[in-house]
Amino acid sequence: MMSLMKPDIQMDESFYKVEEIRHLTGETFSLKLPKARFAFKAGQHISMGIVGGNQSREYSIYSGENDENLEVLIKEVENGYFTPRLRRLKVGSMVEVHGPFGKFGMEPELAAKGKFVFIASGTGIAPFRSIVHTYPEIDYRIIHGVRYSKEAYDRQEYAGDRYTLCTSRDKDGDYYGRLTGYLKTCKFAPETHFDLCGNSNMIFDALEILKEKGFDRDQIHCEVYF
Amino acid sequence: MITNDKKSVAFKTLGCRLNQYETDALVTDFSNAGYELVDYNASPDVVIINTCTVTNQSDTKSRSVISQTARKAKNAVVVVTGCMANNFKEKLESQENITFVVENSRKSSILSLIDAHFSGEIAHPDQLPQDVFRYEPVRKSLHTRSAVKIQDGCDNFCTFCIIPMVRGMAASRPVADVLESVRKTVENGFKELVITGVNIGRYEDGTVRFEELLAKILEVPGDFRVRISSLEPDGFGDDFVKLFDHPKLMPHLHLCLQSGSDKTLLRMRRMYDVAQFRKTVNKFRTVYPDFNFTTDIIVGFPGETDEEFQQTVDAIKEFNFSHIHTFKYSVRKGTRAERLENHLPEKVKTERSLKVRDLSVENMRRYLESFIGKTQEVLVEKIGQGTASGYGQHYIPVHFKLIGAQKNMIVKVKLTGLVGDDEDMFLSGEIVNNS
Repeated sequence: MMSLMKPDIQMDESFYKVEEIRHLTGETFSLKLPKARFAFKAGQHISMGIVGGNQSREYSIYSGENDENLEVLIKEVENGYFTPRLRRLKVGSMVEVHGPFGKFGMEPELAAKGKFVFIASGTGIAPFRSIVHTYPEIDYRIIHGVRYSKEAYDRQEYAGDRYTLCTSRDKDGDYYGRLTGYLKTCKFAPETHFDLCGNSNMIFDALEILKEKGFDRDQIHCEVYF
Repeated sequence: MITNDKKSVAFKTLGCRLNQYETDALVTDFSNAGYELVDYNASPDVVIINTCTVTNQSDTKSRSVISQTARKAKNAVVVVTGCMANNFKEKLESQENITFVVENSRKSSILSLIDAHFSGEIAHPDQLPQDVFRYEPVRKSLHTRSAVKIQDGCDNFCTFCIIPMVRGMAASRPVADVLESVRKTVENGFKELVITGVNIGRYEDGTVRFEELLAKILEVPGDFRVRISSLEPDGFGDDFVKLFDHPKLMPHLHLCLQSGSDKTLLRMRRMYDVAQFRKTVNKFRTVYPDFNFTTDIIVGFPGETDEEFQQTVDAIKEFNFSHIHTFKYSVRKGTRAERLENHLPEKVKTERSLKVRDLSVENMRRYLESFIGKTQEVLVEKIGQGTASGYGQHYIPVHFKLIGAQKNMIVKVKLTGLVGDDEDMFLSGEIVNNS
């Protein structure tokens, strides 16, 4: 007969110590954790909680598949419950990470031969940075919609002609207005793959524009942020 | 209480087909171990309650069943398992009327726990092995048809859904295990198998995906037919449609639409839009015009406008679902939808729910009427006084005069009329030829 005594508590494989915090704007920061202990596909997300806390949230992975650190991009939500707690973390704090999850991710074969347009609002740029880090040779364009130009997170990492910043509250971006306004003015090759990441309203509007431009829904992949 | 050494066990199951399958597998385990299966009113030694937590209503039902059962079976060992056991583990563990709380991942080893308990060991469920596929093929069952579990968990993270938290991440059962389970279940006498899991369209074992697995299942020798339980509309390719040419595969899918509004679907974080859903339905109906689609619809999702709800109504009419499981949206703690704005008043949800139910009944009537004069092969599930009932290939309910039919027999029935006018309506008919 098997012994059924309660087991001892063990240190969990899913615990990660915060190694670095990068402050990108007044509200947005990235948490750099040790290298992921799991294999993931660029574009996928994880769920993250604070050790000792009782809640978790999902975040797209901001780092590349082979990067030395697992990194996530976080914007503090004013009067929110979780992100202000994340913001109070220090180097050495522990977080709990589970994953990877999701079908939103880049297939290596497609990355090698496809033509991509990545459309992101705000921190929705995270999965695309992961993809670009993982596949530096990929044929891509990023259309990034934010309110202010300071929210062009890590813009210097993308080649200038591949990144278009759309700003709705200041005129310091490449296009003044919502990214959907810019999208309407764009022309794309028929074989383009579109990957969209951001809030549901942006995705809905962008989908409509792309469908009006004649692209098939199967060419468009979406990851909704909340 | 049984006075000799033979112990008795009773089961209560709430929720989905997967839970029903897991209960059936436990029934087989306990039966093989010599336990007598009894009703929970008959003072059993052990009561196992397999709970559900998918909606607030499920929680309420599960709590009510736990307290009622514990009250009636006062001296029994009360085991609470299932999704509520995961979602409210600590709370349930603190209840004095529950002996053990067993998480889903350890559910398949409940017999070991009970054996240990009766042997006087200090038993704790957390020491049970974790394996969501450890279940024996069903032999003794509470149902006529048996499920075969091929998959567990889901990592779609739909914003309304608690399942990833209580069932864990998607995991697929190895192909060889699935096929062995199919063979044994057929050997055990079952004539109809239901392929089940949490998100079976996401099945993946090496290079074998859901439709390849299904093709292999259909090639297992034996006299049986196959149904697919609930399926997400994003999990299969074109070859899937062709599989329904196989005589063993029944022409019915429960394809979960949830909403007819693309905006709502995005807020739900569903992986398809209405146009893609339409494409799938049309592909099937072009090849099989009387193919039966049923679905799940959530009404009153946060931010659902009148216009968005109307789009759902239009979709229900367009796709002719013969039955709709309607859910009024209810907050699940810890989900993203909990944090969405514009939660709707209960009154609005109720009105929309009633509207969908009315449409469901209308669609069902129309669909069933289209079968009058035709013949269906019905698996006999219930025998009453002079009548028998069961479901035809298209998963339509059929009642007929009992002439030589027995439970678990497939009989050909000519459908002659429609009886009833609500969700319990059925087709009546006459046996034409025993097969």
